[in-house]
Amino acid sequence: MAAVMTIEELRAGLAWRKNLDKLFVLVGLLVLMSCLGLLALLFLDLVRDGAERFGWDFLTQFPSRKAERAGILSAWVGTSMIMLVTALVALPVGVAAAIYLEEYAPKNALTGIIEINVTNLAGVPSIVYGLLALGLFVYKFGFGQSVLSAGLTLALLILPIIIVGTREALRAVPKAIREAAYGLGATRWEVTKDHVLPYSTGGILTGLILGLSRAIGETAPIITIGALSFIAFLPGSPITGEFPFLNFEWLKSEFTAMPIQIFNWVSRPDQAFQQNAAAAAAILLGMTLAMNAVAIWIRYRFRKKINW
Amino acid sequence: MNTNVAHKAETPTLAIAMEERRLLRANQAKAVADRLDFWYGTNQALKNINLVIPENQVTALIGPSGCGKSTFLRCFNRMHDLQADTRYAGSIMLHPENVNLVGKDVDPIEVRMRIGMVFQKPNPFPKTVFENVAYGLRLRGFSNRTELAERVEKALRGAAIWDEVKDRLTDSALALSGGQMQRLCIARALATEPEILLFDEPTSALDPIATAKIEELITELRSRVTILIVTHNMQQAARVSDFTAFMYLGELVEVDATSKIFTNPSKKATEDYITGRYG
Amino acid sequence: METAVMQASDPTEPHTSSTVDQSVAGLRLHALEMGALVIEQVACAVKSLVDHDTALAQAVLARESRVDAYEKQLDRDSLTFIALQQPVANDLRLARAIVRIGRELERAGDEAKKIARFALSLDQAKDGDPVLAVGRQLRHMAALSGSMLRSAVRAADEMDLALARHVLERDAELDAEFAAALRLVMSYVLQDHRFLRPTIDTIFALKGLERIGDHATNIAEQVLYMMGQDEVSANRPAISQ
Repeated sequence: MAAVMTIEELRAGLAWRKNLDKLFVLVGLLVLMSCLGLLALLFLDLVRDGAERFGWDFLTQFPSRKAERAGILSAWVGTSMIMLVTALVALPVGVAAAIYLEEYAPKNALTGIIEINVTNLAGVPSIVYGLLALGLFVYKFGFGQSVLSAGLTLALLILPIIIVGTREALRAVPKAIREAAYGLGATRWEVTKDHVLPYSTGGILTGLILGLSRAIGETAPIITIGALSFIAFLPGSPITGEFPFLNFEWLKSEFTAMPIQIFNWVSRPDQAFQQNAAAAAAILLGMTLAMNAVAIWIRYRFRKKINW
Repeated sequence: MNTNVAHKAETPTLAIAMEERRLLRANQAKAVADRLDFWYGTNQALKNINLVIPENQVTALIGPSGCGKSTFLRCFNRMHDLQADTRYAGSIMLHPENVNLVGKDVDPIEVRMRIGMVFQKPNPFPKTVFENVAYGLRLRGFSNRTELAERVEKALRGAAIWDEVKDRLTDSALALSGGQMQRLCIARALATEPEILLFDEPTSALDPIATAKIEELITELRSRVTILIVTHNMQQAARVSDFTAFMYLGELVEVDATSKIFTNPSKKATEDYITGRYG
Repeated sequence: METAVMQASDPTEPHTSSTVDQSVAGLRLHALEMGALVIEQVACAVKSLVDHDTALAQAVLARESRVDAYEKQLDRDSLTFIALQQPVANDLRLARAIVRIGRELERAGDEAKKIARFALSLDQAKDGDPVLAVGRQLRHMAALSGSMLRSAVRAADEMDLALARHVLERDAELDAEFAAALRLVMSYVLQDHRFLRPTIDTIFALKGLERIGDHATNIAEQVLYMMGQDEVSANRPAISQ
């Protein structure tokens, strides 16, 4: 019986297929490089524009009417405090919700509705969160235009990200480990606490940091709840010298944040302020990239420790 | 359809009673499955299983894929309860207290604390060797460091792995070889001194030497704990067990002493399966 | 053609599985016990013939059922061992060899029984005694085949290849002894035809002893088989390069 094709035909066709393969790799790399290149260009542009402003003074001075003397102290302190509140609120609530949905919830219609809503929340425009927060936190609960309100708003915003990320991390725990724990007579909470959570920690933290790096740049919601753009004071320090060493006054304080400051400076006609804006934007971008790097590093470390 | 389940569980069939008496003369019965049915949703996976599990003996369950042997095994420690929409009928009475392991009023967590299980693929926790074995003990409330150490050592010795890990108790369990990991899982199950030890195809993921060591271990362990083993490898059932039960399509076809089953079984279906004339 | 020289293997080395060790030990022990019993039977049967000891002959007949029982047990145990433990290589050869050794021993026991029966019938006859005449040959042949049997059983128990080969060599000696004794007995018949009946029985007794020697030879062959040194296994040609 004759062969399907000769060796020469085989080789000719093979060469063509391999070339297609290489072509795809090339196109992929090209697209990737363009995107990264654009991002790099933007970053370099910002850095170039704001180059004069970088320095210790910039980081430690309050905003001022004089561009040369303006700094981002209140902005980055405000951002940091808001991020702290966001993390402290979003993490427990998000993780608990994810644990409930993943481990405890029965597979019925109600759970299905909850799950759909959680994923939908991720797509809600952030300004809507701002309006919600304004009505609920600022006025109804009376928290006012404060760090606390801003933190809670952003926590709500990134909650779906945390929940989805945590659920993925929980799902990654192999069934065999759970079975082994159940087989020894553990309750569902013991299985979650002793086995599932410790091994999902890497994934959960990664999800948290990704959520925070989204929140750090959100402008619309915090404008809505009344972030100021010119404050020459800092909220009170959380640590005091006397018992109980923790002060919660700072939560009620008025605040500003990095995106607000940038927006404010960009709106001014003065060229000098444009430089400030560029510098602040570069720093904000740097903070975001740093957070993402930390997330990747955490994921790497946890993956190394535990191999299924 | 079974309606009066509770009443049925109290009066075992005549066949069971006679079988029980016969085995009780030779060995004590550790557990007796009586008219056991099991459903996944609407699909009946086990039909009218009547089986005596003799104490301190190895009983093997063999049969083709889908015959229900793993399903039956997992009834003993209520693993099916972790899934939704599963239902038992009939009983599995644990002696000597006469507790129905699949009874609605019996707590599955309690059942799992008394019945241990070793799984197909070795699944140690990603913790240290010591913590793996100690976990079951911690669940029961043991926290005294010395007492834990003693019991862990006892369990590791019982699983014939103490000499290999005694200097590596604080190393990760995942650094062990496959055969060692499985013996560690056996130690983990032994630590809580279960009344029955269930093995679900324990060596199907291991190489021949590791398999031989575990088979030898199972033969040794039987003097301390009743063993029920599911295996798709008939030769393993022949080597390791005292009694063999052949199952097919959710039903128990034949159960007898292993030497009888493998030299002269009573049912043609059994002989066809073990000689490879099945299918 | 090259012949591969196989290493003589020892089936008595311990296994990972203690069950297999116990099964093998059980088979070897019962084979040894049966061998000792049959050796005793042969010796007693010959003694009862030569010494005209009817009580001893009766004892031999009574013990015959134990020999049969041993053979059946060896057969059963070997079957169970093969079915349950799936032995291969030297373990499998041992299982098969033990069954064959049991069969040979059982037949040797049968020959002893026949000799004992002959001892009883001879005593009743009280005729002129060709046994006395060939007594020396009888005793010599009995000593020879008894010794072959003992050596064969010991070779099987100790896995002694050299001893087994020695038994195989002595077969020729036994055959020569038998031929000589036969000639002697035939000469008595020619002298006096009244000696015919007891002579025929005496010949059968001599033949029985010769057969016992044959059984011993077969047992020795099984020892070679167990160790993989029998003709078929040992002369396997190597694969030519």
